[in-house]
Amino acid sequence: MTQQLYAWLDQRLDLSALQHFIAEKSVPVHKHRVWYYMGGITLFLVGVQVFTGILLLLYYRPSADEAFESVKFIVSQVEFGWLIRNIHSWSANLLIFMAFVHLFSTLFLRSYRKPRELTWVTGVLLLFVMMGFGFSGYLLPWNELAFFATKVGTGIAGAVPVVGDFTMRFLRGGDDVTGATLTRFYGLHVAILPAITTGILGVHLLLIQRQGMSVPPSVEKQEKSGATIPQMPFFPHYVLHDLMWWYVALGVLAALALFLPWEIGKKADAFAVVPPGIRPEWYFLAMFQVLKLLPAHIMGVEGEMLGVLGFGLAAMVLLFLPFLDRGAAEGRSSRLVTIGGVIALAYMLVFTIYGYLAA
Amino acid sequence: MQPHVSRAFLSLALVLVAAAAWAEAQPPAAETGCLACHRDQPSAALATPARDFALTDVHRDRGFTCVDCHGGDPRATDKVAAKAPSTGFRGKPTGAAIIAVCARCHSDAALMRKYAPKQRIDQATEYATSVHGQQLAKGDTKVATCVSCHGAHGVRLVGDAQSPVYPLNVAATCTKCHADSERMKGYTRAGAALPTDQRVKYETSVHYRAMVDRNDLSAPTCNDCHGNHGAAPPGVDAIANVCGTCHSVFASKFALSTHSQIFDRGCVECHNNHDIAQPSDEMLGTAQGALCATCHSEGDNGHKAATSMRAGIDTLKTAIGHSEAELARVENDGIEMGAETLTLREANNHLTLARTEMHAFDPTIVESVLAEGMALTAKVDAAAEAGRREVSYRRTGLAISLAFIVLVVIALQMKIRTLENRS
Amino acid sequence: MPSHGRPTEPDAIKRRTFLDMVLGVGFVSTALSFVYPLWRYLIPPAAAEPATNSVVAGKATAFKANSGTIVKFGSKPAIVVRTPDGEFRAFSAVCTHLDCTVQFKAETSQIWCACHNGLYDLGGSNISGPPPRPLERFTVNLRGEPGQEDVVVTRA
Repeated sequence: MTQQLYAWLDQRLDLSALQHFIAEKSVPVHKHRVWYYMGGITLFLVGVQVFTGILLLLYYRPSADEAFESVKFIVSQVEFGWLIRNIHSWSANLLIFMAFVHLFSTLFLRSYRKPRELTWVTGVLLLFVMMGFGFSGYLLPWNELAFFATKVGTGIAGAVPVVGDFTMRFLRGGDDVTGATLTRFYGLHVAILPAITTGILGVHLLLIQRQGMSVPPSVEKQEKSGATIPQMPFFPHYVLHDLMWWYVALGVLAALALFLPWEIGKKADAFAVVPPGIRPEWYFLAMFQVLKLLPAHIMGVEGEMLGVLGFGLAAMVLLFLPFLDRGAAEGRSSRLVTIGGVIALAYMLVFTIYGYLAA
Repeated sequence: MQPHVSRAFLSLALVLVAAAAWAEAQPPAAETGCLACHRDQPSAALATPARDFALTDVHRDRGFTCVDCHGGDPRATDKVAAKAPSTGFRGKPTGAAIIAVCARCHSDAALMRKYAPKQRIDQATEYATSVHGQQLAKGDTKVATCVSCHGAHGVRLVGDAQSPVYPLNVAATCTKCHADSERMKGYTRAGAALPTDQRVKYETSVHYRAMVDRNDLSAPTCNDCHGNHGAAPPGVDAIANVCGTCHSVFASKFALSTHSQIFDRGCVECHNNHDIAQPSDEMLGTAQGALCATCHSEGDNGHKAATSMRAGIDTLKTAIGHSEAELARVENDGIEMGAETLTLREANNHLTLARTEMHAFDPTIVESVLAEGMALTAKVDAAAEAGRREVSYRRTGLAISLAFIVLVVIALQMKIRTLENRS
Repeated sequence: MPSHGRPTEPDAIKRRTFLDMVLGVGFVSTALSFVYPLWRYLIPPAAAEPATNSVVAGKATAFKANSGTIVKFGSKPAIVVRTPDGEFRAFSAVCTHLDCTVQFKAETSQIWCACHNGLYDLGGSNISGPPPRPLERFTVNLRGEPGQEDVVVTRA
């Protein structure tokens, strides 16, 4: 039966060409190959988010009057609503964590070198988009923590010179964080960002399929000195590995939902006293801590603005890294990049932990 | 503009202004009578009443004039002729004459029916029974009369917010005299001098706050307890009745208790008269700051009752607090607890009921109400426990799924290994 | 010595089949543990939506004339009254005096608060006792098939 179905589809879609491509596809085998799976895990988690997100929006209501109640409804009255919500909230965090792992591994392994510059650029853009997802999604439960974290976060956006005020008003849908902000963030979260992701992710994946997996420079050097790099077939070996890692991710999600269930919190009240210890989600915490530590004025310029500009500059460096480290293509990988990467990683770890302890 | 045109313009303007000023200075053509002269008198005592009456007065609005109270001939332009005895001129009434002047109309049912059919006509009679009326009868002119509270010439309806007898203004009106220690010197009651701190005390009270903060005009002010025209202190044996006109439930419970026979001053013994504070549970019991220990000593029945009632109320309060915390936790974990929240409301209602029942000072009644409340909190606690079990059950399910996932991961790992071994 | 290295063919096949079976069982059970909750999630729950602005108090036939029933509305109680003429009315059941829950007094067709003897008429107006304001009034609509209507209480 399946043979007949396959034959019918093949006559119309040329599936045998695709089957051939998959059968021929192979993946290099070397001591760094575990990092190949990081991108796949991130993609899997994006899929989990889309799936659980669609389920949630069947019951969620994006208005200040009903958002909190609808989340409470999902968690307490809809069967397994607690499970879907918990998975969505934890998978968001896990996704961004894996995105950073993927970023740092491709950075240290110089995967961004020619011809994969665009893969890197689209990847960094995707990271920014994912953090946008995280920021917009965080407000949607409309509880106290989310409300004030958004207030602080959008306030920081206002610190950017020239366009800051406009950006803040644009994000907030007004001068303050209100129901208008909620509706706007909802539109961002379920329509605008997904559309952008589809485009950029499509390009990112297409490039990977066309170019295959990057081989780290140290392994490439071996190839140049005569040895051949062993390959493993994409199907079934690599696919099974991928599947195994996806199940590991699923297991981690289940464990997180089991031991650290997500709370409902208290409904947001714009006129309530700001509860102590307000901070953004962990992936913004390192930046937030630095901004908190900067003095109010540095050489006559507003400290917060300098901080935001500094982060903007870092983002630009990250985005255009392949073009700044052209030497990597010829095997002369810049030590600066390795040092920079280590410093960036250390900074993020230290300041994230610091941010938690300070709260 | 040409200079001679502008000059002509200016002259014309000056002439017009002068004409207007002259016209103002003359009494209006239509205005005759008392106002014509009295309005411009240099003496404030003569001019002010006239002006007040011309501005806002409830009697003037209904067509009454100076003559109706003072007599005189408004058509006469000569001062002597206007106030000749033959005109019935009474001048400024003082003392008992004031009452007579007002009562002449206000105690006339047929007349009042023409202007305000529902208004009472027994104010003068009532006044005679009041302390003010009795003092006036003895010749004391320092006491309040009709005009002291209602005014004479700018009289407003009681419902007018600017009237001195509008509920919000009554305390200020009464204490114009009663807070004046000079004026109140010499007056005594039951051997003691009259206090002059009633207003200060009243403004700390829960009744005043209700009136001023929550716009509750039904909250009592001086006249609600002391009477309007028949103003007098209620008398110690009437206090519970007076308070009971609004606080009926408490009065009826209190009437059942032995305290109603024993207390000299009824409700006032515990709650004060003018500075009635928001009652709290701290007033009940025998601890530091509680009121019962003022009379009851260790070992007597009252002491035991007070201690047990207070302890019972505190226990229910704590139980409710505990149940609330449990509910909040379970709700936060994702179990719907709306019905239990309502039950807890009921438990809080029982706390309110217990505080009401307490006024009969019978611990058995209070205990039964509190027991019902405790049963409700027990029900809520049981539901919270069930909720926690449901949370456990969900997490067990998750744990089982996790076990299966781990199984798959291990199996996949082994499968990969066999594939790699084969190749 | 064939004790290590490649296992003999029949053993290998048996081990592979056992492993495949374990894998199959694992996949199926995990797939079920995804599909079952998904299926139950998609089916509408008993209460169709969060009861913030509107609540179904019950079937119209369950409310007798000259009766009042306490119903949960959001986080506070509401009272659904059916007048002696059969008309439906609904009010907040939170007494405006000190927040006790009111009840219906059939003998006098009034709404009564047991805490301090407050009384409200069937329009919700405070007519006697300490309550300073009337009860908040809600809108009642009947929805559904005649004879089996639902009583729907809505805020404002």
